[in-house]
Amino acid sequence: MYRLRRWGPAILLISPSLVLIGVFVYGFLGWNVTVSLSDWRGLRPSYDYIGFENYTRLAEDGRFTNSVGNVIVFTVVFVLGALFVGFFLAYLLERRIRGDGFFRAMFLFPMAISLIAVAIIWRWLMNNSTGAQQTGLNRLFSSIGLDFLVNDWFKADQPFAVMAVAIAAGWALSGYIMALFLAGMRGVSDDLREAARVDGASEWRVFWHVVTPMLLAVLMSAVVILVHISFKTFDLIFAMDSESRLIETPAIYMWFTTFDAFNFNRGAAIATLLMVGVSAVIVPYIWYSMRAERRQ
Amino acid sequence: MEPVGIRLENVTKRFKGDVLAVDDVTLDINPGEFMVLVGPSGCGKSTLLRVIAGLEEVSGGRVYIGDEDVTTQLPQHRDVAMVFQSYALYPRMSVRRNMGFGLRMRHTPKPERDRRVHEVADVLGLEHLLDRRPGALSGGQRQRVAMGRAIVRQPKVFLMDEPLSNLDAKLRVTMRAQLSLLHQRLGVTTVYVTHDQVEAMTLGQRVAVLNNGVLQQCDTPSNLFQRPVNLFVAAFIGSPSMNFVQAQVANGAASFADVTIPLPDGSPLAGSDRPVVLGIRPTGFALATDNSLPTIKAVPDVVEELGDERYIHFDIDAPRVDTEATRAAVEAKSAEDVLLLPEDRARFTVRLPMDAPVASGQPVTLAVSPERLHFFDPETGASL
Amino acid sequence: MSARVDTPRDLRIQSRWSPHITAARYIGLFALVCLFLIPVYVLLVTAFKDPSQVSPRQMWELPETLSFDTFRIVWPKLENGLQNSLLMAIPASIISSFIGAANGFVLSKWRFPGADFVFPLILFGMFIPYQSILIPLRQVLSDAGLTNLTGLALVHIIYGIPITTLIFRSYFASISDELIDASQVDGAGMLRTFAFVALPIAVPAFAVSIIWQFTQAWNDFLFGIVVVTRATDWPVTVALNNTAGSQVVPYHEAMAAAVLASIPTLLVYILMGRFFMRGLMAGALKG
Repeated sequence: MYRLRRWGPAILLISPSLVLIGVFVYGFLGWNVTVSLSDWRGLRPSYDYIGFENYTRLAEDGRFTNSVGNVIVFTVVFVLGALFVGFFLAYLLERRIRGDGFFRAMFLFPMAISLIAVAIIWRWLMNNSTGAQQTGLNRLFSSIGLDFLVNDWFKADQPFAVMAVAIAAGWALSGYIMALFLAGMRGVSDDLREAARVDGASEWRVFWHVVTPMLLAVLMSAVVILVHISFKTFDLIFAMDSESRLIETPAIYMWFTTFDAFNFNRGAAIATLLMVGVSAVIVPYIWYSMRAERRQ
Repeated sequence: MEPVGIRLENVTKRFKGDVLAVDDVTLDINPGEFMVLVGPSGCGKSTLLRVIAGLEEVSGGRVYIGDEDVTTQLPQHRDVAMVFQSYALYPRMSVRRNMGFGLRMRHTPKPERDRRVHEVADVLGLEHLLDRRPGALSGGQRQRVAMGRAIVRQPKVFLMDEPLSNLDAKLRVTMRAQLSLLHQRLGVTTVYVTHDQVEAMTLGQRVAVLNNGVLQQCDTPSNLFQRPVNLFVAAFIGSPSMNFVQAQVANGAASFADVTIPLPDGSPLAGSDRPVVLGIRPTGFALATDNSLPTIKAVPDVVEELGDERYIHFDIDAPRVDTEATRAAVEAKSAEDVLLLPEDRARFTVRLPMDAPVASGQPVTLAVSPERLHFFDPETGASL
Repeated sequence: MSARVDTPRDLRIQSRWSPHITAARYIGLFALVCLFLIPVYVLLVTAFKDPSQVSPRQMWELPETLSFDTFRIVWPKLENGLQNSLLMAIPASIISSFIGAANGFVLSKWRFPGADFVFPLILFGMFIPYQSILIPLRQVLSDAGLTNLTGLALVHIIYGIPITTLIFRSYFASISDELIDASQVDGAGMLRTFAFVALPIAVPAFAVSIIWQFTQAWNDFLFGIVVVTRATDWPVTVALNNTAGSQVVPYHEAMAAAVLASIPTLLVYILMGRFFMRGLMAGALKG
């Protein structure tokens, strides 16, 4: 009786959210899996069970394997790029120099605008027209004598096309990674650094031997977040060049096959695979975070 | 309102991971009494307080406030007021609203609420602060508001969880006296938690000493000081700590190193022949004069000047007493935590008046009265 | 290390290299900022150019005269979208913040048995790829007749619950437990403690949550194209993509449209950057 009186109101307060999440997240996920095992093609839903046929067909689908290859290249370039740039920026800004608020604001602003806007800018920057129509970065490179840098960007051959998109994505997210690393670096207590300095370590050594090892946790966070964003990326690629197979990822393919070609079952299968891929990184991450929190 | 007593009957509290915070504690608090719960950190005193408040459920036992069994009652319904260590003032409310919150929750009509808040604010000297927010108050002012919030409620019981520990040392001393005064005037049953045994001794009408969740002794301050029931209580109460040394009782006397002190008259150890732990408080010595008291020769190596008294420290050529009880009393986890440099001989501290002719390195003869000796069983720590 | 402006230069404690390293840092930072802002340069230069001066080859040249003409051209195309986004994002961010506040409070300060099990379940909802719920979502909304702006707002509210819950849970965790204890001892149950004690002190968390959710809802595209069926209901991101999405549209119009569509969130970012940052960091959990 006591327990009900004590916990009752709390459970009641949170139950609407639990119901909503239960339905709209877990319920829908299950529903999606069901569709992926069905024969639903066309506008009228149909739930006849056909087993894993959709999945096996995907394995044989050249367009799908192409998209998987693209997302892998994209992920690698994007994650590594954002990590390096972000870390480097954090390193530069670590020492509380004057105006660090200004610099941080500069590098973070892309997080405030939509990826559609980002795509529009970069699409024009990475335009590969030639001759009188040459524009964007290519035009810049030509006019300052860096002709060897002129290339087709996202219209180049695979896998380079998707790397170009990764550059745009990296531009948008490096600031976030920088902020993560900065937070981690600032979290290293000054006492540790001061002890190292008094012990004779140079500033660089202090940074490398004292600060950096404590950043492992941040690095893990950053990688998990970047990888999961990378799998989900849709807006950027869609707005950049939606119809191009050169940069098509599973997320894009899912959209076209579902809402354009009405192959709901195939789309659901792709979506489920995306889900599995993302879970593989996220579930351990959440589990680990909760455990670390409990230990505190 | 008539003051009520509190009764804790075989209260046990186990936390997750099998941590036994409170171990079968039975305690009776008399109506209107100022009871202090004291002990090193982790001894269970705060847990016990929270059990009385209803902020913790018990794993076993019962809790009574007055005649009512409140063991499973929610804190909202228990009519206790609590002063927290961090004061826990509602940051977004003015002092007035902070103090009136409890009354508001109990649906006290506004005029009555205002009246009571003003009354208490007057007594505590807070009238000019009524419209300020906690953020704009000093530590001492916040403490008074926290007290005011409790007083305004006119509850059956006051619970205080180390309310003075955030104040600086001098302020603490003045506040202590004020608390005593307040208790005299209000007469409400108060349970007060602290880790500072000086605070416990000066404030408590009775003091309950806890260690590792077990109640060691509940008694008046002077009894705790003069008749500690075990080694822990003896080591914990009194500052500087009681001096301990391993000794042998035989032939009606206790001996250690080259010192022999006859047992006091009527001592229960009179016919024994056994090892004991001998304890003498720093105040149990005096400079030897011509009378017939037994003496100890000592060569102090550290002399501390405290203005109106002196402490001398010296080694005794006998084994140190290092047990779980003595370590717990100084909140040390292992032998290494107690001393800066390793030492296996006993070390004594003696308090002498400020004009005592002592100097580091100079031998001095000290007299001890057998009446001031305490004896403890080396195995159990119990008093003999 | 604190700023050393107060120590006279000759009394500073620093290595021989230190002044050079600091200089190098500043140079590096400025260089990087310039590189980083190249896209912004192009954006602004193009958007404010007179349309007659616009040509692909002249992309990098500064405008000869400042002109708002391009904006005037694209405004009608985005006007409706801007309005829709505003109508949708503001209520959505406020409502999902209140829900998050309630959840966060319960999960951190009134931990019912199983609270630590429920929280990761909610949190997971923040990380799922939305592709994996699009098909059911479209079905349900279509059946309920909610393939409009209201439906979009509801979607953002529901899928915003995990992150707002996280933000408030982290915030309330940093509030002393004793405050909640005091409130209980004073006689308030959970609901009154939430209303009178927790909510008033959660104002900073509300700022973070509302700003973050507003930005997310405003910048979202995927839900925009899946949920909304009528062109008049499109949020600004969809309108933006449609007006500027193809290579056919002249690039200056595309740039100007991108600027227009980004103004609200950029304003929020400039004015309330601190809170935006905290929302950003909240998503990183604690590693």
